[in-house]
Amino acid sequence: MTTEPTAVIHDIGYRHYDGVRLGRGRATLALGVQSLRGVFGLGRTVRAKIMPLALAAIMLMPTVVSIGVMALAKQFIMPYPNYAVFMQAVIAIFLAAQSPYLVAPDLRFRVLPLYLSRPLTVTDYVLAKLTALAIALFGLLAVPLTIQFVGELLVDLPGPPHTADYLGALGGAVLYAVLLSSVGIALASFTPRRGLGVASVIAFYMFTAAVSGIFAGVLISSGRDSLAGWALLLNPFFLVDYAQSALFGTTPVNTESAPPGIASCLILLAVVALAVTGVLLRYRKAAS
Amino acid sequence: MTASATPCFATEGLTKRFPRVTALDDLTVAAGTGVTGLVGANGAGKSTLIKILLGLLPTTSGRASVLGLDTATQGPEIRRVVGYMPEHDCLPPDMSATEFVVHMAQMSGLPRTAARERAADTLRHVGLDEERYRPMGGYSTGMRQRVKLAQALVHDPKLVFLDEPTNGLDPQGRDDMLALIRRVGTEFGINVLVTSHLLGELERVCDHVIVIDGGRLLRSSAIREFTRAEQTIAVEVEEGQQRLAERLTAGGETVAAQGRLLTVQVSADDPGRTYDAVRDAVCDLGLSLLRLEQRRGRIEDVFKEPVA
Repeated sequence: MTTEPTAVIHDIGYRHYDGVRLGRGRATLALGVQSLRGVFGLGRTVRAKIMPLALAAIMLMPTVVSIGVMALAKQFIMPYPNYAVFMQAVIAIFLAAQSPYLVAPDLRFRVLPLYLSRPLTVTDYVLAKLTALAIALFGLLAVPLTIQFVGELLVDLPGPPHTADYLGALGGAVLYAVLLSSVGIALASFTPRRGLGVASVIAFYMFTAAVSGIFAGVLISSGRDSLAGWALLLNPFFLVDYAQSALFGTTPVNTESAPPGIASCLILLAVVALAVTGVLLRYRKAAS
Repeated sequence: MTASATPCFATEGLTKRFPRVTALDDLTVAAGTGVTGLVGANGAGKSTLIKILLGLLPTTSGRASVLGLDTATQGPEIRRVVGYMPEHDCLPPDMSATEFVVHMAQMSGLPRTAARERAADTLRHVGLDEERYRPMGGYSTGMRQRVKLAQALVHDPKLVFLDEPTNGLDPQGRDDMLALIRRVGTEFGINVLVTSHLLGELERVCDHVIVIDGGRLLRSSAIREFTRAEQTIAVEVEEGQQRLAERLTAGGETVAAQGRLLTVQVSADDPGRTYDAVRDAVCDLGLSLLRLEQRRGRIEDVFKEPVA
């Protein structure tokens, strides 16, 4: 007499996939989301989380101080449009630390051919990476600004709230995000080594900041103030600050001798176009 | 050559020139369903052919199609339904195999939940168990090759290009990988184009073999004909090589000269006859026999022009 088996393990073998297949757009979106999460270390090791989260926390500190001063001393100390210029070193470090992460490993470990063997194109890839970094940078600026604005509304200082300044600063944050992400990716994508990428981005920032500062100082001391404004445009943060002022009517940090607003906007546009073209050309070459 | 209604891929007068080198030279070839092997020495143009078939490289002249789609104009459509396992390493060391394969499935257009299921399934099929949750930086070459294969299969392609999948593997790993490729072609029902520089390796898993050299087609035929033609014996005599060749050719054997060696194709129907013929010819002509050996798997032996 045999007993019936109560449970059987079946090897169901290979199963074909006949579910939905989404298009290029959704694949690009998935790549962008994965990249954006990765910029803040999400889905990565603990070590990868330390740097971006620490920098994001530092970005919030002036906000906390500012809200404290508003609540206790009833004084408004930090204008929204100047926040990015004030925090430029932290933003530059964030950019230098995180933009190589987005592009260097795919070059170094040669993952790029795998992306390109799928429907994704070089343009989709670059777009996903640029957008991810731009959104990250926008968040880095917009979150502290928004917290401070909410704080200002809650503290209810005498006089009207600085709504126009806040909105202008948000507009400026978009400009910062677009300019810095394209420059960061452009510099980082030229080397498969992450360390070199970090060094080149930070060197770019320090070089432009130093050169613009020296030129501006020399020009002002020799009495040619009108030229000093132009020298300041070499620093990407002052460039955006002037463009922000021209587009959204905010007060720039360096009020003296500002170059015409249209010039800063055009230079900003040209730098972004140059950087994005550089990245696309670089990847066209890497793909072939 | 035999192929089903829509060949897996077909090329017509395909030529690809780089500034300093011609990678493919007027290549016309087609492959049917099943497992097709692409054999050639390093630099023979195998990887270039795969890139063209993926629609990633423009051709200099000629045309190519994959699953009936034109590589010049329908690259994105082709890349939706094929998989690609590159020859080189392509795994980021700080990601786990699961994360990586899920991500690659999404890049092929699978929604996230489906991507997770397919990744788990595919990794199981290629034989990666618990280690799939560990970062890939610590994997052995065998495990890395399996992950590379998994990412090529995860979206259930109709055709998969495997570029040198046995590269760097030890003999056991080689056998495992070859068995896996055979399963992909038969059990999984996915057409395979697999490249190698070793003909002997591919004859075990392929239905059809294409041999290219210097970007030119040397031969394309079913594996059965191949192994038959491949069995040759090498004969070396002190002098009188020419007389021996003539004598054997007159006796109906296929003989090729290769330096000081004569290679004689072993008759498929009656192998004993060839050996007897060589022995008798050497004896009758009174030649000093220096060497007589069986040869297998040397591509160049198969394609020597027969002596007139």
